[in-house]
Amino acid sequence: MNDPYQVLGISESATDDEVKRAYRELARKYHPDNYHDNPLADLAQEKMKEINAAYEEINKRRSGGGRTTGASYAGGWQQSYGSGGSSSVFQQVRAAIQMGDIARAEALLNNTGDHNAEWNFLKGAVCYRRGWMDEAMRYYQTACQMEPNNPEYQRALNLMRNGSPYRPGGEPFGTLCAGNPCLTLCCAYTLCNGGYCCFI
Amino acid sequence: MFGYVRPPQDLPEEELKRFGRAYCGLCHALGERYGTAARFILNYDFTFLAILLSEKEEGPIHHGRCAAHPVHGRERLESSPALALAADESVILAYWQARDGVEDHDRFHGLKYRGASAVLERAYRKAAKARPEFDVSTRCQLNRLAELEQENCPSMDRAADTFAVLLQGAAQAVNEPVRRRVLEQIFYHLGRWVYLVDAADDLKKDAASGNYNPVALRYGLTDGVWTEEARQSFAATLDHSIHMMATAFELWDFGVWTPVLETTLYTGLFRVGKAVLDGTFRGGGNKRETQEKNT
Repeated sequence: MNDPYQVLGISESATDDEVKRAYRELARKYHPDNYHDNPLADLAQEKMKEINAAYEEINKRRSGGGRTTGASYAGGWQQSYGSGGSSSVFQQVRAAIQMGDIARAEALLNNTGDHNAEWNFLKGAVCYRRGWMDEAMRYYQTACQMEPNNPEYQRALNLMRNGSPYRPGGEPFGTLCAGNPCLTLCCAYTLCNGGYCCFI
Repeated sequence: MFGYVRPPQDLPEEELKRFGRAYCGLCHALGERYGTAARFILNYDFTFLAILLSEKEEGPIHHGRCAAHPVHGRERLESSPALALAADESVILAYWQARDGVEDHDRFHGLKYRGASAVLERAYRKAAKARPEFDVSTRCQLNRLAELEQENCPSMDRAADTFAVLLQGAAQAVNEPVRRRVLEQIFYHLGRWVYLVDAADDLKKDAASGNYNPVALRYGLTDGVWTEEARQSFAATLDHSIHMMATAFELWDFGVWTPVLETTLYTGLFRVGKAVLDGTFRGGGNKRETQEKNT
């Protein structure tokens, strides 16, 4: 294992508070929500594991090897597409997305005549993976309109609407915010919000 | 198409100088490999390409004079495989951009582009030989774009995908698999962002000339004027691409280049996007002029 202090980017003389702060900052950066549906999610997950292990190791050393504080961001990586599918085609699409086989997922969807809410949701997921963000957003919106109470569709749409949960220093993240010191104003009418939702 | 990616001016002096060394290093690599004429294609966008392709350390620095700085000279990076790669890819991109200009304009207005591509012709042939795969994928994507333009495709994602995939190809020559995946993602969304910002910047001009503009088609804009709803939706889609670049950037250690890349991704691109949306970015033919003024 790499030097846990190096992993967290701090020196061995860091105070417990500094350790905690460094860990939180990194955990925020590699948080599953920040990589939801991201084609590089597997790499972020590896990073997260490394950071959690480093944090636990430092805590173990500092408490004399006895107490271990569980990392607070251990879970949350189950971006499962295995649930919810009603028809077998959609199950196959979900499996293909899970495997990263976007071309197959798309071909299956294009051969399906029934464009119901789930079809729109899966089409959105495929677009998102490909980087077709405008169309992803529109398919997610359609899915949510067709089935407003579906938590899976709503979550995907909200994650897109709320923008990026992470930016160094926690400043707002967004084109319409750029150079605008007035955070409240900018929250009122754009998507950047430094991680807290203002749109739902 | 080029001139939108630039380092924020409020970067610390040390980082601006580092960026300057990469800029001069790429200029030198272009001159060394393709002759003086090819140096004129140099811009900040290609410097970013070079930086993203660079190793974690800066490598040896050389102080020398050149035509642009004949008296005091400048510090620049010594030639490296990364700079050579960036120089080759820059020539291919600039050449195809110039060719695209010829096709897009009538005989008279195309003259400027025709002249540029004649100068670049020789350089291009050499670059295409050095990087055949990148050349083939570049051509393929520009053909796709021409088809979409012809059919007046209203999907801005589909249109932007051509330039995004084209730029993504710049990572082909990277051997390390994780690094390649990270760079492919950054390049894809950088290409998408550049294409869309460029289309937004050209809204009025295209409305007047009747040229293809996927952003105008997507939002049904008349006379190139934004509606508030369209403006917000468009800003959100730009933000999504920046988000994808930033999340990819965080998965690789870019060493000494981290501050300049981080500031550009988390600050610089937003500012340019906002300026374009507000109409305060000096667009069209003045892109390069603005860029030089800011040097």
